[in-house]
Amino acid sequence: MKTLRVFTLAVFSALAMIGSSLPAADVKADLKAQRIKAKEEAAKKAADEAKKVEEAKKVNDAKAAELAKKAAADAKKTVSRPSALQDAPAVAKMIDSQIDARLKKDNLPVSPIGTDADFLRRVYLDITGVIPQYEKAKAFLDDKSTNKREKLIDELLSDSHYGRKQADIWGAKLFTVDSDNRFVQKEPFTDWLKDQFNQNTPWNEFVSAIVTATGPVDENPAVTYFLSNRSIDKLTDTTGQHFLGVRINCAQCHNHPFTSTKQTEYWGLAAFYSKVVPQRPKNAVMGGDNTKLTVTEGASKSRTKEFFPESAKTVAPKFFGGDEPKLSGAEPYRPALAKWLTSAENPYFAKAMVNRTWAQLFGNGIVDPVDDMIDKNKPSHPELFEELTAKFTASGFDVKYLIKCITLTQAYQRTSKHSPSNKGDAQLYSHMNVKMMSGEELFDSLAVITGLVSPAPEVKRPGMKYGNGGPRASFVTFFLAGADEVKSTTYEAGIPQALKLMNSKIAGNPAALKQFGTGKPADIFEKMYITTLARRPTSAEIQKLSTHLAKASSPTEGYSDILWALLNSSEFSMVR
Amino acid sequence: MNLDQATRRRFLQASSLGVGSVALSGWMGVLANRAQAAAPNGKKPKSCILIWSEGGVSHKDTLDLKPDSKGAGDFKPIKTSASGIEISEHLPKLATHMHEGVIVRSMSTPEGAHARARYHLHTGYREGQGGLTYPSLGAIAASELGSEKAAMPNFVSIGGRSFGSGFLGPKYQPILVQDATKGVEDLKAQVSDKQFSNRTGLLEEMEKAFYHDYQTGAAVDHKTNYDRAVKLMHSKEAKAFDVSAEPAASKTKYGSGKFADGVLMARRLVEVGVPFVEVTLGGWDTHLDNFEKVKTLSTQIDNSVSALLTDLKERGLLETTLVIWMGEFGRTPNINTKGTKPGRDHYPKAWSLAMFGGGLKGGRVVGKTDAEGATVTDHPVKTGDFLATVCEVLGIDHTKENEAVSGRPIKIVDKGNVPFTKDVM
Repeated sequence: MKTLRVFTLAVFSALAMIGSSLPAADVKADLKAQRIKAKEEAAKKAADEAKKVEEAKKVNDAKAAELAKKAAADAKKTVSRPSALQDAPAVAKMIDSQIDARLKKDNLPVSPIGTDADFLRRVYLDITGVIPQYEKAKAFLDDKSTNKREKLIDELLSDSHYGRKQADIWGAKLFTVDSDNRFVQKEPFTDWLKDQFNQNTPWNEFVSAIVTATGPVDENPAVTYFLSNRSIDKLTDTTGQHFLGVRINCAQCHNHPFTSTKQTEYWGLAAFYSKVVPQRPKNAVMGGDNTKLTVTEGASKSRTKEFFPESAKTVAPKFFGGDEPKLSGAEPYRPALAKWLTSAENPYFAKAMVNRTWAQLFGNGIVDPVDDMIDKNKPSHPELFEELTAKFTASGFDVKYLIKCITLTQAYQRTSKHSPSNKGDAQLYSHMNVKMMSGEELFDSLAVITGLVSPAPEVKRPGMKYGNGGPRASFVTFFLAGADEVKSTTYEAGIPQALKLMNSKIAGNPAALKQFGTGKPADIFEKMYITTLARRPTSAEIQKLSTHLAKASSPTEGYSDILWALLNSSEFSMVR
Repeated sequence: MNLDQATRRRFLQASSLGVGSVALSGWMGVLANRAQAAAPNGKKPKSCILIWSEGGVSHKDTLDLKPDSKGAGDFKPIKTSASGIEISEHLPKLATHMHEGVIVRSMSTPEGAHARARYHLHTGYREGQGGLTYPSLGAIAASELGSEKAAMPNFVSIGGRSFGSGFLGPKYQPILVQDATKGVEDLKAQVSDKQFSNRTGLLEEMEKAFYHDYQTGAAVDHKTNYDRAVKLMHSKEAKAFDVSAEPAASKTKYGSGKFADGVLMARRLVEVGVPFVEVTLGGWDTHLDNFEKVKTLSTQIDNSVSALLTDLKERGLLETTLVIWMGEFGRTPNINTKGTKPGRDHYPKAWSLAMFGGGLKGGRVVGKTDAEGATVTDHPVKTGDFLATVCEVLGIDHTKENEAVSGRPIKIVDKGNVPFTKDVM
């Protein structure tokens, strides 16, 4: 796509390498690093080992207490604001009538509504990113009230894990770790995202805060967006892809082959970011402190090194597919961009969020792929799309409301078992799509059950050098490399991941068995099934489990086999 | 809409399902599978071992010596088994294999910082280009040469961070072996073989209802993947990961330590049909004390790589196994003035790498640098030119387009790159 750019770059860089200041700076840093590194590494290794052992011990001993403490602290820290709007059930009806009309037109039979257990596990994972704990699950299954599904939706939208799930999703989109930003701390940003989602900050204000962010990162973590996307093209691509639902990056170098997007449109949008100055992160390996990096907007074009790619064109700021605003050179550009970007009149902004949220919940966008909302890529339900977008906009960009509207629908609550006649359907919602758990969901759910992987670290470590580590992060990296580009309805793990789940201590932890008690086998089976799959075992399953238990050389062995099999089953790692 | 890659793969796999989940196919099975994969053109599929020298190899002290230049250093050139080709005196054993190898002395690449340069040399693309994450050579080889059905993984990375599969997806991620001496992580069950087989039997029993009720592609893929992982655990081929099984005599010639064990493991893996293995040797970032360090590192390379080439040849595998030795860039032609034991700094503008076996016509040199080893004077080779050549040698069509996000077609090697295969094969 960018041959020209690469080629010229190659030539230019080769020429520039003589006496260039870039390698020189690198050399200096490397030199210093080398001296300190050897000493540091030895000490660090020993300390790390000791720490690991200690952490493992701690986790094992006081796991339950720790979890509870963390949850309490978490709940206190985050203000959770519910949506004030009451008409979600009516909107859900509207959605259903549109979906049903289309199904009828296509003559597709509809699968029935899923069981309480199906709904329970699905909505827990979709809203809070983790499976329900045993007591909660049992209480819901046994609850006889008729409005318990709506009650659960409200409860989960008020749970602080809601914000964390969204922060996991958006953190990965807005901060992709690369070699230019690897020393920038990610956690302050994901914490900030989590709080905003929990507080239900209107999406337009939320995005404005990101796009116009200025100041030091410890005072305004939103500036991380500029510290992580360290060039004008990355900022423009992210803005297009995530906030507008359009991939415009091809237009960086040539006019878009599938749309009318011109190169000048691209660089016109990019120009709004042209005065941003993101401070350079220090080398954290050498102890550089990156907790106070600052982002400013200058009075003229940024001179930050590498902020402009070679392909950059200098054009006046111009709204994507719109006008050139009158801006004086000295005034900041980004507020004008934010105003246009997040306005109710912007044809992309609200739609992009509606479509993304829809895809999160259904595994498939109304326009799919979700970041390809171009004219040629038609929505599956155009009227529904328009109406839901209008509702979302009228609600004041209330994201919790949007999620409630969708999760209340019959379409969302349908079973994911298809019937022979609606088998091929993935886009018309005759039945629910089965989704894969994300890496974060898998980690957190395993943490609930086994207690061996520690849950997401909530404690901030101020002296931390990297800031992007932790067992959760490395687990996620291991399980879902490139996940942003993978659909939640496809299984993409490979052999290493299967080996890890089968043979590491995660699923084979004997200590995890304790929580299931020592009662009658039938009770233990039920507790295991509710804990892992949020449902009771069928009588056929109880039969199989009993047979296995009888064959096993000891009850402990038998139960540990059953737990192992449950955690390695496809049903466990899928959202049914 | 286009079929995404996962769906396509699933269709290919569908035929292999329905067989008992823990069916063990031995070594012959793997070879048969790989032979099948290559059946269309009747050629045996090739493998590749990438010996990655992390930090950047000083070309003037290894493969492109300039004894009469200003920044010559102390090392003397020696004759090799290929007439007219000389390399460093600290690579005497490798010198005896030069008739089986090719030196490229005219690499000229755009990245001068480690991380970006590593990314570039592994993927052929610039980091961040077009907003995509590109697959590394290993992942490309895994997807193009590997078999979906093989028990063994198609991409193994030993002793270092590697670059993964990018937009090709986690399926082509390498299995990482941190320490070759210890083998591969989580390959052994935590329980006895008997209990493990009880467990997998139970799992299969328990899953039946779910597969029946939710016939989703994801569940099929999940099952296929687990079947492969279990098959790997029980396979004879997995013993390739255990270098302690190697007879002492043949082990010794690789040298000792993690790297030597890694190279040995690479040979064992290629023997059982793994198409791509990367082995990392760190420590080449010789800003300080260049000569002492390069001498030691050269000896490690010399012992391990020459032993590898000898073994491959003995086993009739050298013709079908391409061995590449390279790093992310070269080092400055001048010696710096840092400290009492000076070194050389980063230098991407002109540098060298070597390739052996793989059906190459050995004893050749591609390209040339000037008297100082500072500028390419003949046949400059860009990263893409080199990777396109590697693809052709391995029998991969480098112009093939893979599907990235939103169905964007991305060539394995970007256009504008010219392979030099005809000069070396």
